Amino acid sequence: MVDPVPLLIMGSGPAGLAAAQEAVRAGVGALLLDEQPTGGGQIYRALGEATGERQKTLGTDYAAGAPLLTVLSAQCLDHQPGATVWEVSPDGTVYYTRQGQARAVSAEQVILCSGAMERPMPFPGWTLPGVMTCGAAQILLKGAGVFPASGAVLAGSGPLLLLLAKQLIGARARLAAVVDTTPADNYRGALKYLPGALRTPGYLLKGLSMIRTLSASGVPWYRGASGLEAIGDDAVAGLRFKVRGRQHEVACSNLFLHQGVVPNVQLSRSLGLEHHWDGLQRCWRPILDGWGASALERIAVAGDAGGIMGARAAEAHGRLAALGALNRIGVLSETERDRRAAGARAVYRREILPRPFLDRLYRPHPDYLQPADDTIVCRCEEVTAGQIRKYVELGCLGPNQTKAFGRSGMGPCQGRVCGLTVSEIIAQARGVPLEQVGYYRIRPPIKPVTLGELATLEQPEDA
Amino acid sequence: MPETEFAVVGGGLVGMAVAYGLQRRGHQVTVFDEGDIAYRASRGNFGLVWVQGKGAGMPDYARWTRLSAALWPEFADELKRKTDVDVELTQPGGLDLCLTESELADQVARLEGLRDALDGNYPFQVLDPGRLRGMVPEAGPAVSGATYFPEDGHANPLFLLRALLGAFRAEGGRIENGGTVSAITPTRGAFRIETERPWEAAQVVLSAGLGNAKLGPMVGLNAPVKPNRGQVLICERVQPFLNYPTVQIRQIGTGSVQIGDSKEDVGFDDTTAPRVVAAIARRATRLFPLLENVRVVRAWGALRIMSPDGHPIYDRSTEHPGAHLVTCHSGVTLAAAHALVLAAWIGGGEPEIPYLETFSGKRFQLSSAA
Repeated sequence: MVDPVPLLIMGSGPAGLAAAQEAVRAGVGALLLDEQPTGGGQIYRALGEATGERQKTLGTDYAAGAPLLTVLSAQCLDHQPGATVWEVSPDGTVYYTRQGQARAVSAEQVILCSGAMERPMPFPGWTLPGVMTCGAAQILLKGAGVFPASGAVLAGSGPLLLLLAKQLIGARARLAAVVDTTPADNYRGALKYLPGALRTPGYLLKGLSMIRTLSASGVPWYRGASGLEAIGDDAVAGLRFKVRGRQHEVACSNLFLHQGVVPNVQLSRSLGLEHHWDGLQRCWRPILDGWGASALERIAVAGDAGGIMGARAAEAHGRLAALGALNRIGVLSETERDRRAAGARAVYRREILPRPFLDRLYRPHPDYLQPADDTIVCRCEEVTAGQIRKYVELGCLGPNQTKAFGRSGMGPCQGRVCGLTVSEIIAQARGVPLEQVGYYRIRPPIKPVTLGELATLEQPEDA
Repeated sequence: MPETEFAVVGGGLVGMAVAYGLQRRGHQVTVFDEGDIAYRASRGNFGLVWVQGKGAGMPDYARWTRLSAALWPEFADELKRKTDVDVELTQPGGLDLCLTESELADQVARLEGLRDALDGNYPFQVLDPGRLRGMVPEAGPAVSGATYFPEDGHANPLFLLRALLGAFRAEGGRIENGGTVSAITPTRGAFRIETERPWEAAQVVLSAGLGNAKLGPMVGLNAPVKPNRGQVLICERVQPFLNYPTVQIRQIGTGSVQIGDSKEDVGFDDTTAPRVVAAIARRATRLFPLLENVRVVRAWGALRIMSPDGHPIYDRSTEHPGAHLVTCHSGVTLAAAHALVLAAWIGGGEPEIPYLETFSGKRFQLSSAA
C-alpha cells in the first residue's frame, strides 16, 4: 500500500467540494473520491456540462454551485470521479473500486460527505414499474435533460416535490397532477418554528415562488391527500387517493414520489459510529462534534450525511470539517483553524435556522411511516409490513432479528430503502420508542462490488 | 416453587433446538435470549449440513454428525408441518474442492484416516478433474480435484432458526428476551437465573455459545470455548450452476451464491477484514471463473464457538444436578440430533446412544492436568 494521504474526502457535493477548497487553500494534497462521473453531488449534478438552457430550467440554486466546482481543477487536489467506495475501516483505510480495480488507500483524516437520500414512501403499488422518486426524476433531468413530456404525477410532501414541479413546468412538461400529502395539522405544528425560520427568509421566499409557479400553471394540485394507492397491472397507470374523505383517481404513466430526505448513514453505520434519533427529522444522525468529528479519531462526517441541513449549510459544514481535520493533522494551529472557520460558522448557523420549521412542516404522513400489512417495505426481498409485525409477535426485538427471520434488508440495497420503515414498524408494534429498537447493522461492502474486482485488491505482502 | 422447569440460556440454533426438543417431550421450557445486537453465530452460519471430514481424532463425533444428517429429513418435515416454514434442506452429497495436488492428497489422507477409525464405513469418493466436471461443469481449470461425500447437504440457517422458534412457541414454550443472563446461582436444588429480574428454574441448560465459558463454572461445568472468526460473502442471484454444496461455496434455492471458508483467531471482533474477504474472492474465482462478474452484496464476520479440540461439549453437572451445558460450532448440522436425541438425554431419559458421555467437558481438564 502507498503512503497514507493526509486527507481523504468522500463525496463531491457541496460539503465535499467546500472541504476540498479548504484543503487546497491550506496547501494540503487531498484525495477526493466520488462515485459519479462528474463532481457536484446531487444538487449540482452535471452542472459543469449543463447548457445555458438547462441551467435556466433548473434555476438559480443549481447554477450557484459553479464557484465551488472550480476547485476540481486545482493542482494539488487528486480528484478521482467514478470511484465507488465500498468500505471504510475505523483506522482510516478506504476501500474503493475504480475502473474495475479494487484499491485501498489509508488516510490520516477521512471526511465522509455521502449526502442525503430520499426517505422511502411505501404504500400499495409503490413498487410498480413507472414509479420512482422525485430525486431519481431529477437525476434524469439534470444529467440527461430527460423528462416525461406528459402524464406524470408528483406525489408526496417536501420542498423537492415543489421544486421538481417547478422545474418540470419550466421545462414545459405537462404534469397530470401534484398530489400533496402534507397533513393539514403540520401547518399548525410548524407555526411555532416560524419566527426562527423568518430570520433566514430566503428559503420561505423560494417556497412561495415555487407555490406561485405551481398555482399559475393550471396543473391540478391536490392538498391534504391521504390513502395513496398506485394502480396498474404491469406498470403504473394511475394514482388513487382521498382528499377530505372524497376518493380521487388520476391517470398517469409516471409517478414521482417524495417525502423528504434523510442522512445517508450507511457508511457511518458500517463504521459502528453511535447515532442518535432525531425526532423532528425522524431520522438517525451520527454523533459529531462542532467540527464534524466522530468518536473515531480519523473519521469525520460533513454535510447532509451528518443531519439534513441543505446545500448552503452543507457547504459551510464541509469547510468546518476540513478545518477541524487540518488542525488534527497538524497543518493548522487552533488559532488559525478558528480564524478561518469564523465565516463558515456564521453561514452554517444562519442557514440551519429554517430547518426546524421545514422539518416540522414536512413531517411524513403517518400512513407512510406505518404502512398497512400488505404493503411491501423491503423491495429487494419483497417483505411486507405485515411480515415484520408477525416477526415481532414471534419475539423479534429489533431490525437485525427481523432481517434474519425474513430477509428484509438483505438485498443489494443493504437496507437503505427499508431501514427506517422497518424500525418504525417494530417500534410501534412493540410500543417502545424508536431509539430502543435501533437500526440495521450495516455490513460492508456498502456498495455491491464484483468478486473479480475484490480479487484484485493487493495483499499486504505486495506492499 | 420454580417458575419454569427448564431455563435454556441462549436462543441461538443450539439453544432453540434443545428447547424445542424438551418442550415437544412435554417439559416446560423458558428460553432466555439477548437483544437485537449480540454476537450471534446462528445468523452468520454458512448453512451446511456437513459430515465430510468431521471427527478426526474423535470418531464418536463423526458418528454423531452422521446420525444428525440422517435424522435431518424427518426433522425438516416435522418443522414444516408445525410451522409451515420450509428450511430448504437438500442433501445431494457435498464436495470439498482442491486447487493443488497436495491439497487433494492431504484431504484424501484425512478421509482415509476417518474411514479406518470407523471400520471402513465411510463412503467418500475421490473425484479427478474429469469426473468433477461431469458433476460440476463450471469448475475452473485451476481445480485439481475434489472429494465427495454422499451424506452432505445444506439448509437455510435463518429459516431454521425461525422454524425452531415458531415450533417451540407452538408447543407452548416461553421466550424471555432482551436481557443478558449475568449469573446462575444454584439454590437448594434449583437455579437462580440472574437477568433483568431474577428467575427460578428447576433445571438449567447453558447454550449461550461463547457465554458458556463464563456461565459454566458457576454450576460446576467446564466449557473453555474461544471465538474463531469466519467470514462469509453473499453474492447476487445468478443462474443455477452448482447443484452440490461445497465447503467453500454454495448456491441456495433463490440463486444467491454464498462464499465462506476462513478461520481467524481475532478475539471478540465480528467485523470483516477486507483483505481476508479479497483472499476468499480470489479463491472463489479460481474455483468458479464465472463468479468474476458476480457482485457481492454483503459480507459478514461471525464468531464460531470453538472448543480446544473443535468438537462439541455436552455435559451435566455432578456438583449441581440439573445443570446442563451444550456447545458446538455446527448448530445447523447437529440441529436434528440436538432436538431429537440430545434433548431426551437432558430431559432425563435413557441415552439412546451410548457415546454421549464422550463429549463431556472433563476431557479438557484431564488433558491440561496431564
